Amino acid sequence: MANQLEIRNLNVTIGDKPILKDFSLSIPKGEVHALMGPNGTGKSTLAKVIAGHEDYTVQSGEVLVDGVNIIGMEPDEIARSGVFLAFQYPLEIPGVSIANFVRAALQARMEEGETFNAPAYYRSLYEKMDLLQIDRKFTARSVNEGFSGGEKKRCEILQMAMLDPKYCIMDETDSGLDIDALKIVANGVNLMRSPDRAFLVITHYQRLLDYIIPDKVHVMWDGRIVQSGNKDLALELESKGYNWVKEELATA
Amino acid sequence: MPTALQTKLLPMASLGDDAQLIAYRESLSGSIPWLDAKRAEAWDAYQSLPMPTRKDEKWRFASRMAFDLANFRITDAPDNSTRQRAIDASNMMHQVSGRMVFTDNHLASFDPVDSDLEAKGVIFKPLLQAIHEHPDLIESRLFAEEAHLGSDKFLALHTALSHSGALVYVPKGVEIESPLMIYHWTTQEGVAVFPHTLVIAEEASSVHVVDIFQSLEPDLPAFCIAAGNLYAGPGSHVFRKCVQNWSHETISFQADATAARRDSTTQTLAVNLGGKRARFENQLRMTEPGSHATMYSLTVAQGDQEFDQRTFQSHEAPQAVSDLLYKNALLDRSRTIFSGMINVAPDAQQTDAYQTNRNLLLSPEADANSLPGLEIQANDVKCSHGATTGQLDPEELFYMLQRGIPKRTAQQLMVYGFFEDVLDKFEQEEIRDNVRKLVQSKFHL
Amino acid sequence: MVQHTPIEVDREKGNFSYKTHYEYDAGVGLNEGVINYIADVKGEDDWIRQFRLKALDVFNRRAMPTHWATKDLENIDFAKIRYYLSKGQIPKRTWEEVPDEIKQTFERLGIPEQERKFLAGVEAQFDSEAAYSNIKADLEKQGVIFLGPNEGLKEHPDVFRKWFGKIIPTNDNKFSALNSAVFSGGSFIYVPPGVKVAQPLQAYFRINAESFGQFERTLIIADEGSEVTYMEGCTAPQFETSTIHSAVVELVAMKSAKIQYITVQNWSNNVFNLVTKRGLAHEESEIRWIDCNIGSRLTMKYPAVVLNGRKARGEVLSIALANDGQHQDTGAKMIHNADETSSNIISKSISIGNGRSSYRGLVHIPDHLRGCKNNTECDALLINTNSRTDTFPAITVRGNGNSVQHEASVSKLSAEQIFYMMQRGLSEGEAMSLSVNGFVNDLMKHFPMEYSVELKRLIDLEMEGSVG
Repeated sequence: MANQLEIRNLNVTIGDKPILKDFSLSIPKGEVHALMGPNGTGKSTLAKVIAGHEDYTVQSGEVLVDGVNIIGMEPDEIARSGVFLAFQYPLEIPGVSIANFVRAALQARMEEGETFNAPAYYRSLYEKMDLLQIDRKFTARSVNEGFSGGEKKRCEILQMAMLDPKYCIMDETDSGLDIDALKIVANGVNLMRSPDRAFLVITHYQRLLDYIIPDKVHVMWDGRIVQSGNKDLALELESKGYNWVKEELATA
Repeated sequence: MPTALQTKLLPMASLGDDAQLIAYRESLSGSIPWLDAKRAEAWDAYQSLPMPTRKDEKWRFASRMAFDLANFRITDAPDNSTRQRAIDASNMMHQVSGRMVFTDNHLASFDPVDSDLEAKGVIFKPLLQAIHEHPDLIESRLFAEEAHLGSDKFLALHTALSHSGALVYVPKGVEIESPLMIYHWTTQEGVAVFPHTLVIAEEASSVHVVDIFQSLEPDLPAFCIAAGNLYAGPGSHVFRKCVQNWSHETISFQADATAARRDSTTQTLAVNLGGKRARFENQLRMTEPGSHATMYSLTVAQGDQEFDQRTFQSHEAPQAVSDLLYKNALLDRSRTIFSGMINVAPDAQQTDAYQTNRNLLLSPEADANSLPGLEIQANDVKCSHGATTGQLDPEELFYMLQRGIPKRTAQQLMVYGFFEDVLDKFEQEEIRDNVRKLVQSKFHL
Repeated sequence: MVQHTPIEVDREKGNFSYKTHYEYDAGVGLNEGVINYIADVKGEDDWIRQFRLKALDVFNRRAMPTHWATKDLENIDFAKIRYYLSKGQIPKRTWEEVPDEIKQTFERLGIPEQERKFLAGVEAQFDSEAAYSNIKADLEKQGVIFLGPNEGLKEHPDVFRKWFGKIIPTNDNKFSALNSAVFSGGSFIYVPPGVKVAQPLQAYFRINAESFGQFERTLIIADEGSEVTYMEGCTAPQFETSTIHSAVVELVAMKSAKIQYITVQNWSNNVFNLVTKRGLAHEESEIRWIDCNIGSRLTMKYPAVVLNGRKARGEVLSIALANDGQHQDTGAKMIHNADETSSNIISKSISIGNGRSSYRGLVHIPDHLRGCKNNTECDALLINTNSRTDTFPAITVRGNGNSVQHEASVSKLSAEQIFYMMQRGLSEGEAMSLSVNGFVNDLMKHFPMEYSVELKRLIDLEMEGSVG
């Protein structure tokens, strides 16, 4: 089906160890889904598998971007098909400035023969930097090098805004952020919400969801989704803790 | 132009024929007894010293000296059109304080410093002219540094025969803003060149010298022994950069030395791209307290090139700071050797000395050797060295791919990024961009 | 800065000698006669005699390695050294049988007591031969062999001859040739497949006679999946004349085996300690050298691991303490020879007074290998203004996905830190000891407990001497 990110019966292993077990989830454009769960249940694995990381082996299942299965595609092809992953731990790229980095990413998306409009690019970059309260001087700095945790996360959102993806996967974007930085990041995300875009917000804590209000909340446990609901589920989870999920599972 | 001084030089001498070389050396001699004596002594040293072998600790990991000196010769100046091509291509930088162009050891073009600098006593002259006009000024400094790092035989030959290159003299308190550019070209097949750069910066002066070594044809066989000596007076600022982009059929030796006096700031930066085998020795002597020296190098090794780098940071006085960063990227079957030593003398307390070698292996057949060393005889010091050798980080690559950047572009960006911190040390944008282009043109990722 | 007064504190424990009568003495100097004397008294097979004679020839032909090593080597006078001294060739199995004049030495050094407390087997060598050698009965039952080289080669040629002199060939260096010519004593150990020796086996090497050279030879073979820890200690009395200790130690770790080899070297200041140590690590095996050098005049020792099987692991953890008149020239070599092999080197050195510590390393990863890793860290601490340290690593990397990281740093004892501790009431010596112990502490965590206690004590004693 077009106009959604659809994960169908995904089974994924690292070595011989199963991580995702028959995982399924559909996120239509225009919606924000939150994926919650304790550490080690496979949330980050899901994000990396969708992005095409080679450490994971997909045993079976599909990930469909607007109806096209992306499993087996190269990470850059997947990215250009419209999937953006905001990393939990953004990498430092010494010697490559943010301006050149984003520019290279945009140029990779251009049609053949298309020319790069540098003035428009800088206008757009500066505008988004202002919005995310990133100092304009940062454009000349190497990607993430020497950035604080909060700066790295804001830089992820900046890239997300510049590359205009259809599906945004945000992996623990709230970790390591103080409340002010969290608000800035959430504001940036909220401004990007549109009927043409979907978000999968992966988080361990409910706090982020006070600022990015999800349409749906899923709880993940041991490689699959065990419960889905609206934003109230996140609140319930927060008050009862993940042990509640465990107990629910035990009694189910 | 001082062409008159050059006419009496013999037109040709083969490096394999000692009789011809002796005759050539004698044709260099003139009215300056101390220099004649120095050259004669150097010639004897050249003849008596053995060819280095790999058993010598200073030549560890270096490949065999498998070249035949008889294939190389000192030549006459090239024809006018060749000369003109070289001059036209000597365009790394336009905003300069002075420029010299040498083709096959012979002065081809000379833009002196302006009258203002001249009036302040700045001397920027071809070596041959400077020797005759300022013998007393340079007596204690010309060919005065010994090669401690292994190339003594080659430096002796250089001393006996070198006459191309420049003298840069900056009087007390004079600051020269734009760089002085010196271009050395090889243009004729089998030519042997001996470029020499002598920089004398007096107290509180400031100067910036750039040497560019290039061949007119990329496959021109040639032989080079270059030397650069910097004398940084008290409180002076001396910057010297070398871009070595000889043909890939060149055998190149370079022995540089910096003597840093009290509170001076010195920087050497070497960009190494050319040559079949290129040996680069760089020694720093910090003879008085409070000096601050940095040594940078950037090397792209490809094909079956061998870059052999030997460095020495000698802290002879207290409270001095030295920092070395040598970066090598290796492609194909290329080889690099980095051998660095920090020596802290017993009295050189409060020394800060650092040495870092980073090797980026871009091919499974490339070969990176690292010999970082410390010899510390004082105890109140901060000294460290680090050497890493590895490939492009796969996680960084994944991160870039996730942004939609194709693999080739991502790898290129990472490799170029690897060099940026060294390229950044080129203060002037024009030369920085030109050198960056040159570096990037070496890649075929 | 703290002033320095040299005191030979650490020597006290080993600095004594009881008059001993030797039945066997090869005399002074090195020649074929000495070799034949040793071979005769040991009743050796002819192939060993020929092995020795060939080695003597190599030794005589090889130059001193002074083109890279210290010139102090030239001060060794090989013609003035005694190469073989013993009271007999067969070690006793109980301490009661050991002659009193020898037993009192080991009792004073605490060996029988340690054996009772925590050792699986002990060999005590007195000059050229082991005076005592014993292993716990249950280990013997499991097939563990713990003998000297003579008995080892005689009784189990099938086990030992295959590897003897193969890890370190005679011509490896001048001193391995010297050892091969005159070797006597040492441990030949075989651990059968799957046997895990829980407690350490220990050898204690004692030089008693003046101008005597000790040349023990050790070969440890850990068969598939077995594990063994071997500890060696050594002391000698302080004599006027210099002497030499030159051992050859070969380790073979078969598939998935683990060997840990621990050395506490505490020779007196007149001993040239020139030792060659190398291990061969097969697939998924692990060889770890823990090497602590406190004594000797000059130590040159670079334990090596040849990583010959996939996923083999090599490690050298070393601590060197160079006091006045000492040069600890130590290091490590890691020769990667299979995919996914990894090696780790951590070296800490402390230079006191005019002592000098040098690190020499070699890491080699050739081009056909993939996924190899090495990490090297060298930290040097300088105590006095005239202390000295050097670092000379050599690293060669080729191949695919191989990575190497080397870091070295030099620092001094922080005067502020010492002041802070003294303000809390510690003496200057105590404060310095604490500081130095802190410097080596993270490394000592990897050491067996008995060993780190002993080491701490030695460091305390050394540090007392550096305060004036």
